[in-house]
Parts: sequence; structure tokens; C-alpha cells
Amino acid sequence: MSNLKEYFHTDWAAMTGSDWVGLITTVGIFLLFIALFVYVLHPKNKTRLESKRHIPIDEDDRFDTEDKK
Amino acid sequence: MEATQTEQKYNFEVVRWFTIMAVVYLVVGTLVGVLIASQLAWPVLNFDIAELTFGRLRPLHTNAVIFAFGGCVLMASGFYSVQRTCSVRMWSNKMAWFTFWGWNTIIVLAVVTLPLGITQGKEYAELEWPIDLMIAVVWLSFAFNFAMTIASRKTSHIYVSNWFFLGMMVMITYLHVVNSLAIPVELFKSYSVFSGVQDAMVQWWWGHNAVGFYLTAGFLGIMYYFVPKQAGRPVFSYRLSVIHFWALMFGYVWLGAHHLQYTALPDWTGSLGAAVSLAMIIPSWGGAVNGMMTLSGAWDKLRTDYILRFLIMSLAFYAMSTFEGPVMSAKTVNALSHYTDWTVGHVHSGALGWVAMVGAGALYHMVEKLWNTRMYSASLVNMHFWMATIGTVVYITAMWVSGIMQGLMWRDYDEFGTLTYTFAESVAAMHPYYAMRAIGGLIFWAGGVVMLYNVVMTVRQAVSQGSSSAAAATA
Repeated sequence: MSNLKEYFHTDWAAMTGSDWVGLITTVGIFLLFIALFVYVLHPKNKTRLESKRHIPIDEDDRFDTEDKK
Repeated sequence: MEATQTEQKYNFEVVRWFTIMAVVYLVVGTLVGVLIASQLAWPVLNFDIAELTFGRLRPLHTNAVIFAFGGCVLMASGFYSVQRTCSVRMWSNKMAWFTFWGWNTIIVLAVVTLPLGITQGKEYAELEWPIDLMIAVVWLSFAFNFAMTIASRKTSHIYVSNWFFLGMMVMITYLHVVNSLAIPVELFKSYSVFSGVQDAMVQWWWGHNAVGFYLTAGFLGIMYYFVPKQAGRPVFSYRLSVIHFWALMFGYVWLGAHHLQYTALPDWTGSLGAAVSLAMIIPSWGGAVNGMMTLSGAWDKLRTDYILRFLIMSLAFYAMSTFEGPVMSAKTVNALSHYTDWTVGHVHSGALGWVAMVGAGALYHMVEKLWNTRMYSASLVNMHFWMATIGTVVYITAMWVSGIMQGLMWRDYDEFGTLTYTFAESVAAMHPYYAMRAIGGLIFWAGGVVMLYNVVMTVRQAVSQGSSSAAAATA
């Protein structure tokens, strides 16, 4: 346990401006990733997202229909 | 949709020219590659002519295959798929032609300046500052036209392939501009604003992200459009493609430091690069599985559809090289692999197996659609597929063996702590593998020649059949 404490020990007073920008950006992106995974993998979003996968396949039919209008 | 309707609905003329030039550059770029591979095996082929030596021609080879072939494939497929998925004509026809002529002018300038030894000496960014400025302007014209075409779309959703293309455009602009920052001292001489370890870090931040965003994200955009299109089936999972996109965008930018293990760069930077590299196996394999599983339930198509074979085989190489790369970035493996031919083999499993194969599949698909005809010879497509596959396997196998041998010979020492082998002995030991690599490259290049012949004959066939689109193409 003491090794873990030592490993994760941070001298916060020595953090520079660049360090803080890097830390906040990294943690921010990590949190955004969690939000992305929750959004994408939530069952209620499945149908809506998966309906988009047909776009390249349906394009000719869609365009034909539009041209006939 | 009839060919005439397609012609009215979209602007494919510039796409046709990018497509043709991509095939030409595939042949030219790999020919230079075969020559320089042969020079390493048989140095007499340097002919004692400075402009033809390995040092001058190697950057010409990399620029030709990455920016000439790769660029034309990306611009052809990007302009083609964005119009079709957005159901709208290209935003600016004139700007697209500016991109075409500008990009090809840059390629001509590279062909002239690099053999003359005019170089910034930065890998994959050798071209001098006036050409760098041209690259930035022409690239932005491509990106702006692409983005504006999306902005004027008639569909509500932006399909995932366009996200990958856009991600590439944003990141490559940023990377190219920062890495190319230099102080000009003459028309063709400049010095980088970075120096020392910062220069090395910025160089490999660019170097690896040229692979990550130009040769991976851009070509994944191709994969997400052309694999479903050629297979006639929707992509296996759209949700997986969304995760793939964002993980790639935010993950790749961390990796550059893994090129600088055991250097003056702070140790933790290399460790971070390696750790994120290993994490990147997950989205990379997710994307590869997503592409391959698009064929789920229709694997029989691979027996008859030779174009689809290119696309699926490319995904196998993508999966393989995105596993191999992270493993090589780990410090323990890197201690053996760095500076050896293993790296060259790894790069070519990605370049030949992934980039060139998915590019060839997309080009064949577009040739049939753009000229409203079938390929002149399906057998030649099949022959090209096998030549590309066998050539790639011979090349990378030779480099794996030679690379691991090099690493082991360089680190071997006797009981007195003296190195067992001299460097010259390790060079001599590489000779059979360098010859084998040249033969693998030659097979791959010959496959490109077969493709060029087949494409030319297909266009001629379309013209003789009186296809309106073909006539427009040759007008």
C-alpha cells in the first residue's frame, strides 16, 4: 500500500501552468469518452444510430426517388 | 440511377482525373521503391550519380506513394463519396480543379527538388518551405470544398465516412503547419524553428500522426463507404463506427513519442506513448472487425467479387499492423526492434497491405461507377490481387527476419563484454533478405502495372461503347 501511495504521490505545488492544462485536458477527454460510451451503447439509442448504417446502400434508391419527384 | 442522371446530379469529372492519376502514381511510386530496395541489395545500382542515390530517391519514393498516390486516392474517394452520401453536387467545381492542379504541381516539384537534394531533412516532410506553403493552401482548398459540400447536403445525417475524412483534414492541417514552421534563409533553404529534443518530438508527433490521420483515418473513411457499397450490405455496426472514430481521433495524437524510446526525450513520454499505443489496439481492431463483419452472412461474395477481396484483405493487414505497431512500441520489444528492418517491414505491412489494397479496391469500384462499365478484365483484377498479396507477404517476411536478425546481432556480446559482430557483418548478413525484399516489391509493382493496364483498357472500352460519362471524361 505504501508503494502505491508513493507511486501516486504528486507534488501539487510543483505543477506548472502547462502541467495543469495537460491534466485538465486529459481528465476532460477521459470523462467525455465515458459520456460517449454511455450515449452510444445505451439501448434506447440503438435503433436511431443503427438506422444510419444504411446510408451508402440506400443512396441510389433515395436519389432515384428524389429525381422522380 | 442512369449514368446521365448521375452526371447531372454530381460532379465526377475531377474525381475521374484524380482516380487515373492515383493509379499512375501507384506505379511510379512503387517503381522508385523497387529501385531503392535493389540499391540496398546491389549498391552498384546507385550508378555513382548523386541524383539517383538511395539518399535522394528514398524521400522521393515516400512522397510519391504517400502524397501522390495516397493523396489522389483520398481526394478521388473523398470527393466521390461526400457527394453521394450527402446527395448534393460538389460545393465548388473550380476549387476542386484548383485542388487537382495544385496537388499535381506539388508532386512535380517534389520530383524535381528531392533528387537535387533540396530537402528540409524532416522525414515525410522533406519538401522545402515554398512547397510547404503550397501544400497548406491546396490542402485547405480540398478541406474547405469538402466541408462546404457537407454543409450544403440534402440529407440530415453526416455519414461516418465523412467524419473520418473531416477528422483527417483538420488534423493534417494542424500537424503540417506546426511541423513545417521554419525560418527561410533562401528560396530553397530554411531551418526549422524547433531544435534538439523538441524538434525530434514535433517531428514524430507529425510523423506518426501522418500515419494515424492521413494513412489511417482518411483510408478508414474510404473503408466505411466502399466496403458496404461493394458488398451491397450495410456496415456491421454503426455504433461501433462512432466509437472507432472518436477513439481514433483522441487516441492517435499521443503516440508519436513511441518513436523516440531510449533517446534524450523524457522517459515518461515514451512510456505514455507506448501505453496509449497498446490501448489503441482496441478501437483499431473494433474498426477492422466492423469492416470484416459487414460481410457476415455473405462471405461467398469473396469467391466472385475480386474488388471486394482487396477491401477485405486490406482489413486483415490493418488489424495485423495495428497489433504489431503497439507491440513494437513497448520498451522491451522496442529495444530489439528500433533502428532495424523490422520497422520497415511493419510500415510496409500497413502501407502495402492496408493503404494500397484498400485504395486499389476503392479505385476499382470508382472506375466501374465513374465510367459506367465493368472492368475490362476481372481476371486481371484477380491477378493484381494475388500479386499485391504475395508481394506484400514476401516483402514483410523478409524484413521481419532481417530486422530481428539485425537486432539480435547488434546486442550480442561475448564473455568479455565485447560485441560479437561488427556492424559490417550485420550488413552482410542482410543481403539475402534485401534481395528478397526487392523481389517482393517487384511483384507488388508488377501488380500495379496490371492495374494500370486494366484501368486504361476499361476507360477505352467505355469510350468505344459510347458511354456519355466516359465521353465526358475524355473530353
